[in-house]
Amino acid sequence: MLLLPAVLAGSVGAQGADALARERSDYISWLQTAPVSPFAAVAQQPIGARLRIGPADSDLPLEGVSEHRLTTSGGRVTLDGADGSRPVPAARPVTLGGFTLLVDGPPGRQVVTVFGTTRRKRAVEYYPVDEGAVFVGPLIPPERQGTVRVLGPDGIEVEAIEAGSVQVPIGDRPTRLRVRRIPTGGEESELEIFFRDSTNGKGTYPAGRFVSLLPAGDGRYRLDFNRARNPFCAYSSAYACPAPWQGNTVPGAVRAGERYGA
Amino acid sequence: MRSLVLAAAALAWASGPSPTGSWRGVLDLAGGRLSFGLEVERSGTAWKARLCNGSLCQPLSNVRVIRDSVVFEIADYAATIAATMDGDSLTGVYRNVGNRGPRSIPFHAARGRWPATPGSRRLLGRWDATFFQELGSSPRVIEIRNGTSGLEGTLISNTGDYGHFAGAVKGDSFALSHFDGSFVYLITGALRGDTLRGVFHAGPRTETPFEAVRSTGASHLKAPTEVTGADTTAPFHFSAADLRGRMVSEKDPRFVGKVVLVDIFGSWCPTCHEAAPVLAGLYRRYHARGLEIVGLAYEVTGDTAVDARQVRRFRDKFDIPFPLLLGGINDVEAAGATLPQLRGFTSFPTTVFLGRDGKVRRVHAGFYGPATGAQHRRLIEEFEREIEKLVKER
Repeated sequence: MLLLPAVLAGSVGAQGADALARERSDYISWLQTAPVSPFAAVAQQPIGARLRIGPADSDLPLEGVSEHRLTTSGGRVTLDGADGSRPVPAARPVTLGGFTLLVDGPPGRQVVTVFGTTRRKRAVEYYPVDEGAVFVGPLIPPERQGTVRVLGPDGIEVEAIEAGSVQVPIGDRPTRLRVRRIPTGGEESELEIFFRDSTNGKGTYPAGRFVSLLPAGDGRYRLDFNRARNPFCAYSSAYACPAPWQGNTVPGAVRAGERYGA
Repeated sequence: MRSLVLAAAALAWASGPSPTGSWRGVLDLAGGRLSFGLEVERSGTAWKARLCNGSLCQPLSNVRVIRDSVVFEIADYAATIAATMDGDSLTGVYRNVGNRGPRSIPFHAARGRWPATPGSRRLLGRWDATFFQELGSSPRVIEIRNGTSGLEGTLISNTGDYGHFAGAVKGDSFALSHFDGSFVYLITGALRGDTLRGVFHAGPRTETPFEAVRSTGASHLKAPTEVTGADTTAPFHFSAADLRGRMVSEKDPRFVGKVVLVDIFGSWCPTCHEAAPVLAGLYRRYHARGLEIVGLAYEVTGDTAVDARQVRRFRDKFDIPFPLLLGGINDVEAAGATLPQLRGFTSFPTTVFLGRDGKVRRVHAGFYGPATGAQHRRLIEEFEREIEKLVKER
């Protein structure tokens, strides 16, 4: 039930390296240009029953924005101001003055993230690609089926499904890493592992990193630590940081994937 | 002579290779290859392209060609396919913008059309499928048939279909794809004994295993009318601005005493694109006998100017003869909030049938598109029967 290094399994290739390079450049360009990029995030706050936004003395001061209120009722979020009232749907950016608001999260526990027009210029750095950091093997079913509330990479609480675990041959003995299915909209979801290792705080983000488990055919999965990435709280203190997942610590250094600059 | 040759070479370099013609496109998903077609032609100085799933094609909003770079724009879904042309191949990426990062899938294409590969009779027909997720299972129906471009089909859930699928077959194994610029769906499977076993792929790497047995004719899915209900005791109330900002409600003289179909839709919703021409056709046939239709659009941005522009595009694309109003923002909760008389509102589109007294007679959640074949025809017949009945009421 152990994952095998993909080099041994014969499934690393130049094509994989190309795809990885493209993914990284797409991601960096998204960070640099998307209206809802973490580089542009200025605040993230639970809405609760009501959140006053705009003036300096409000819950969420936004320069140049007159008094508005975000209210939740029956799981629905409404934005009210002197200019009227409008519903704010989940996961759809809405503009307010020079800002973009994004409301997400389960009914009753919605969170608003606010983005400005200026972006931090921050370098996104990676370790050199390490073919030895790619593993292929089975996903071990969960001992108990169920869901658990965790923060996703974007600091938003989601109802994640316990998807099982993988056994990674790093360190003295194989380590079992918990895998959760995190919904990403529509019919789509990602199998995610939030893990810690000995590089945290010494080259990588102190709180740990996310890595997706990718289907590799024939019921096997590929765990490519070169695709390990920081939660958004690494880019902006506006975001809530996910708590480490119990037990998900690799007993060794994973020098692959995204780094965290000093 | 020499200068002529040089001039021709310079022209060729400036204009680059031509993407004109047919392309066999592939999106490389984690668990399989999603195939689709691209048809590119030159129209004066501009380029035009169509994206095809088998014989069913839709025009793309724009194509930009600069030397060996080709960008296909899919404005309805804020998506692009950007590729580099090298001889008879295109290599690049399909992208659209997400909230948690870009959604990008490797793309490549070769010149030509996908060969038509018909399936054996053993594969064809209606299959009752069970999708297995971690926390349980859910029903779907898979329809497989032979069409003009070979194997075709669709996937149907409780509330509607996933569009027209086309693909290829080899013996008892098959792959059926649907890509419209937003939805990325692939069904791969094989017949083993009497059971179809396979995987439904959504997006770059979500995989849901399924098993299916041949339909006995008994109902496998829940009827849409069981999914969404409505208050039928009082006239159905709606109120929203039209595309010029004028408020319109059920009390508007054009609706009073008429049979009214309220179409709850979004310009971003592919199934709504399939319902629109059917509703426009029904309007043209039954308007003189007392049918009115009103579309309530639930759009993406909440910015009236942007949303109105998208809805105008939608109206012009389908030549819609009935009024379209800006109902609110794309969200089942938001839509449910603005239409409190609907219960269990779950899907776009939803069609609400009102009698001449303004009260709800029927709610149809979802829409079976042309890809569902018999089910599509049956749905239109049901709509026609309902309208015939309602216009006769006095």
